[in-house]
Amino acid sequence: MVDREDIAITKDSKDIINQLAVIIRTAQIHDPNNVAVLTAIERFINTVNPHLSSSSTLHLELVGEFFYLNESRVRFPMEYLLNFDFLIREFRRRGLGSITVSGPLTPVDIQAFLKAFISSAFSDEPFSALSEGVEDIDPLSIGPLKKIKEDGQYDIRKVVKRTYFNAVSFTKGVINKIRSGERVSIKKAKRVVESLVDMILQEEELLVGMTAIKDYDEYTYHHSVNVSILSVALGQRLGLSRKALTELGLVAIFHDIGKMEVPAEILNKPTNFNEDEWRIMKRHPFWGVRAILKLKGLDSISIRTAIVAFEHHLNYDMSGYPKVSKRFDLDFYSKIVSLADQYDAMTSSRVYSRIPMAPDKALSVMMERAGTQLDPILFKFFINMIGVFPIGTLVLLDTKELGLVYGGNTMFHDRPRVLIITDDRGNRIKGTIVDLTKKDSSGRFLRTIVKTMDPNKYRINLAEYLL
Amino acid sequence: METLEDIKLAKDIIQALTKAKKTIRMYPDNNPIYIKTIDDTLSRFTDFFNLRDELSLRIKQNEIFFETEQIYHNPEKDDNLALFLFKDGLRELSFKKGLTKEELEGFLRIISLDFDREAVDDDIVTLLWEKDFENIKYIADEAFILEDEDYESRATTEVKEKAPGIDELHKAYAEAFRAEDVREVSIVNLTDRDLQLLVKEIERDMEDKIWKLSEIIFEMLLHAEGTVEYEDILRFIKDLIVYCLKQVDFKTFVDIVKMTKAASENTALPEVVSRQIKDLLSFISSDETIRHVAGVFDSGVEIDENVLNEYTEFLNRNAITPFISALGEMQSIQGRKRIINILIHLGKKDIQTLARGLQDSRWFVVRNIIYILRHIGDKRAVEHLLNSARHADIRVRREAIKALGELKSPLALQTLRDSLDDSDPSIRISSVKALGSIGSETAKRIILERVSKKDFRNREFNEKKEFYETLSRWTDAETADFMLKTLRKRSLFKRSRSDENRACAAYSLGLIGNRDALPVLERLKGSKNKLLREYVNAAINRIEHGR
Repeated sequence: MVDREDIAITKDSKDIINQLAVIIRTAQIHDPNNVAVLTAIERFINTVNPHLSSSSTLHLELVGEFFYLNESRVRFPMEYLLNFDFLIREFRRRGLGSITVSGPLTPVDIQAFLKAFISSAFSDEPFSALSEGVEDIDPLSIGPLKKIKEDGQYDIRKVVKRTYFNAVSFTKGVINKIRSGERVSIKKAKRVVESLVDMILQEEELLVGMTAIKDYDEYTYHHSVNVSILSVALGQRLGLSRKALTELGLVAIFHDIGKMEVPAEILNKPTNFNEDEWRIMKRHPFWGVRAILKLKGLDSISIRTAIVAFEHHLNYDMSGYPKVSKRFDLDFYSKIVSLADQYDAMTSSRVYSRIPMAPDKALSVMMERAGTQLDPILFKFFINMIGVFPIGTLVLLDTKELGLVYGGNTMFHDRPRVLIITDDRGNRIKGTIVDLTKKDSSGRFLRTIVKTMDPNKYRINLAEYLL
Repeated sequence: METLEDIKLAKDIIQALTKAKKTIRMYPDNNPIYIKTIDDTLSRFTDFFNLRDELSLRIKQNEIFFETEQIYHNPEKDDNLALFLFKDGLRELSFKKGLTKEELEGFLRIISLDFDREAVDDDIVTLLWEKDFENIKYIADEAFILEDEDYESRATTEVKEKAPGIDELHKAYAEAFRAEDVREVSIVNLTDRDLQLLVKEIERDMEDKIWKLSEIIFEMLLHAEGTVEYEDILRFIKDLIVYCLKQVDFKTFVDIVKMTKAASENTALPEVVSRQIKDLLSFISSDETIRHVAGVFDSGVEIDENVLNEYTEFLNRNAITPFISALGEMQSIQGRKRIINILIHLGKKDIQTLARGLQDSRWFVVRNIIYILRHIGDKRAVEHLLNSARHADIRVRREAIKALGELKSPLALQTLRDSLDDSDPSIRISSVKALGSIGSETAKRIILERVSKKDFRNREFNEKKEFYETLSRWTDAETADFMLKTLRKRSLFKRSRSDENRACAAYSLGLIGNRDALPVLERLKGSKNKLLREYVNAAINRIEHGR
């Protein structure tokens, strides 16, 4: 049942979460009786208490990467990003999943909560410590962080898979239609990208995981969709609106459209390009602009798409290609797509670069390029999104098991979830997923990554396990 | 489980939606009918939400179901709400308690769009998706977008077929121990400054991108290869020009024209391309472009004077006729003024073409053209203006006579002489002033001739005064003598009319400042006629004291 209270909460939810982060941050620096803390507490109470009439409660829950207030996901504006991130980290550090407030709060309640919250971080069992600490705060109760069960994701994985392949199939259809001079429905393209955006908002990790599918034969189509997914995922981290994410996703799908005009014998040449062939290859950004503007005429989407098609090989320092006669600022979307493009291209086996890089190596290379060829700030967001061990990385664990990185860990970036593919003797086993943050009774991690390898070299692909 | 009352209320909602779908399209949002439609529809929802928290509708091709109950059926293709929602893939639509008026209005505006007629790039699902209503949810069937239904299963099979064999897995395992140790790629913390820079970049990103694309297109021009590429690029530039104007972005439009001009002078480009670019520049003066420019002028958008002047410099004489056509269509004074100023500049290049505008059937266009010719000040315009001085509309005649006067051409004298007898006094006054502007001996004689006629004294005092005032421009003896003669002239009949003439003569002598007239004026200082007395005294004062 939706009532007026719920609507009002939705409006204040961003502020509630932001102010909770502010009081915790402030209390970590100052004494709980400090005027800065008290002022922050007062502001928080003034925002929260009006929603706490006798009949309603506030339930703040962390699920995956997102906060939900009374079961509504809270979308955060850009200016709150740091505080949201901070609060997510602090919740995870304590294994805290939810806070329920069932009646008006007093400054004393909040001070008691802050005391328990801050001290719990130093405990071996932070959630238990926090539970004990808040026991006496009447209107407040807490719940542990819920783990998303791998088994429970079976159905959603099917949806993600369908979304991914629909997008690839659509892209293939579009490119073939353009080649044969047929009309292309932009309405359909938007629907495809909207479904990608929805999936990224709900199941970012799984959909980004699908980009590990690097189909050599259908590289162009997979690459277009992968770049679109990675761009939208990055855009989401940057706080772009859903509409902007669709635009970005659409633009990214068509970024390489100019390659349609590169003769097949060059595009599919198995050996290195000679100078003339490179010259032709480097013209695809020009041809991309032409293809897009011929396809649809001018409107805000085609303009943006053409700009990105032209600029996606131009680097942050204006190196790259095509060479331009005067310096101009690269488009924001071009810089995002360029990051996604480089990463996916490096980690894919392509005809003109047969040996793909392992995902972690690709990131190292990109890190060296940050600030010169790549926008350094966007790269920070990108690396935080992809993780130290990107999904699909082949890893050897200290237990001598071989595995594929299956899912990231926002709190412990070097301890992702890993799908074990061999036992400690190298025998293939049916994949089980292990969490590298797990410790034994003496506090030592059960498993740690010791080596990373190129999965493509052995034709090992996470896709096989995802599908 | 639905009850009879629920079903009735759900049906009422469907009926309200069907009605609103039509009404919202027809009226602007401040119209009382528009407002009432939204209020009525919201009230249907409120009634329903008093019983249930959610209205969930299942959409079929020709039917809409509320739970298991069919509440709408329409087998027709037209005006079929079910089909309208169904065809874009919408299969379920839910409205939740808490639905706001703004949400409902947003929803109604979407369903009231005429997707067949309006150039909408989005379907209904995309529009709902973009709105992301809190209390309106939907389920769409994505089969609509499938290009190849078997693609997924085929691709899945292929990926599985490519799975590594046991040997490869063993090889991987064996080599794993010799692999490099993990690299140090650390997660980088974002700083406040990073975020500030990012926010700035996102804000900058809101700016229009057309200029950016223009820069790219001109870069492409420098690197194009072959006729087809050049032709495409030139067509894109043309599209950019039209697009900017449609977007009312005059500054970018002018900047693109400037870049086109610069490109036409770029010696690095093949000669044939330079010629094509010059042709493209002539597109700026075409009927099509000028229609769009007129739209911009009429939109009320601010345009920097310097930008406007730059634009005018790029126009050629071909632009004159389209601008004259546009002049007649303009709705705003500001827009008309802008076109007039442009025509004043352009008309100098081709008076003949501009003068063709005098044949326009709309009097105001003709008057504007005369105004433009007058400001150009080219005597070649006189021959075209002579006809306009006989135009049926007084406002046109007046403007034409004024122009003829300012152009000071002897060719205009006969026409002006004729106009001194126009049926409208304002035209007669304009004509005498025009003759005064010409200032020639013949012009003077024409006026003297007219004021000497017996019937002149019957004209209104103000008109006569204008005639005598004009005559005062000539300070020669003949004019002075004529005035003195008039001043002395006494009449037995229609004395007051005659005294009006004398007063005008006194006024004129005063303006001339003729001291020889003082004795005669002194004698008339005590005239019984009040008007004559006042004007005589004023004239003496002016001659003696210069005021």
